Amino acid sequence: MVSFKKRLKLNSLIYLGLLLSGLFFNNLALAEDVNLTWVQLSNEQRQVLNTLASEWDTLRPWQREKMLDIARDYPKMNPSKQELVQKRLGNWSRMTPYERENARKKHQQFQSLSAEKKNELRKKWMEYRGLSEVERAKLRGESPDTYTDADLN
Amino acid sequence: MLNTNENHKNKMNAEVDPSFSVENQLSDADVAHYVVDLLDDHAQHLTAVTAKRLLVARNLAVSRLADSQAVQSSGHTLVWFGGQLERHRTMSTAITLGAILLAFYAAQQFGLNANLEEGDAFLLASDLPPEAYADKGFDTWLVSKSD
Repeated sequence: MVSFKKRLKLNSLIYLGLLLSGLFFNNLALAEDVNLTWVQLSNEQRQVLNTLASEWDTLRPWQREKMLDIARDYPKMNPSKQELVQKRLGNWSRMTPYERENARKKHQQFQSLSAEKKNELRKKWMEYRGLSEVERAKLRGESPDTYTDADLN
Repeated sequence: MLNTNENHKNKMNAEVDPSFSVENQLSDADVAHYVVDLLDDHAQHLTAVTAKRLLVARNLAVSRLADSQAVQSSGHTLVWFGGQLERHRTMSTAITLGAILLAFYAAQQFGLNANLEEGDAFLLASDLPPEAYADKGFDTWLVSKSD
């Protein structure tokens, strides 16, 4: 007769095995998705990532993975947010990895701000957008941690 | 008592002797009564030694009966305990399974929340466009404005 402790240990091992195999096959499925060409994507994925149709097959696997994540999260949004995603996706895909990573960090900080601060920052962004391109380029050059060419590759 | 014994004796004789009529044949109850009467009869004439031996034998029989009942009782306890243990195992398995499913669900939810906060899609749908977060010139301009 198997002791209670052994039985408990056996059960735990079985469940852990099931969990790990589930995670493994989940990652395997994701890795397969990353290697799909544009025509192999699902209709829903192509609809969301339509802006990237011409460049999809030239994207690197890690870039595709990020874009597929966007397509996965897209249905969770309301129509106005979805419209924003469609509108901004082209520019986003043309950003360098450094710029994207920087944007993610800043977005995290923005999320933690109060509604009042967010509103203030939105107004300031509009004000900044009103500056000429020359002025904005000058400000970029004055930035203490302006990225180098190495950061862009 | 004597008359009764005589009656029983006659009946026993009828059992042995087939020439007796059917009406005189003995039933089991009659035999039992006859035996009891005989025992009562002879008990009056038992010696002290025999009476004592009978008492000892009776006590021995009673103690053995008590022991046998105690074993039966503890046997029931074991069966009950075994049942509890089996139920305990089933419960433990169910609890383990439930805990794992709960942990898996929590991990999924945590991952979902992380996606809600960190996913690129939500960054793109943010109040500010991604350029606002990535533009170093905007940072510099904000600092210069706050000075």
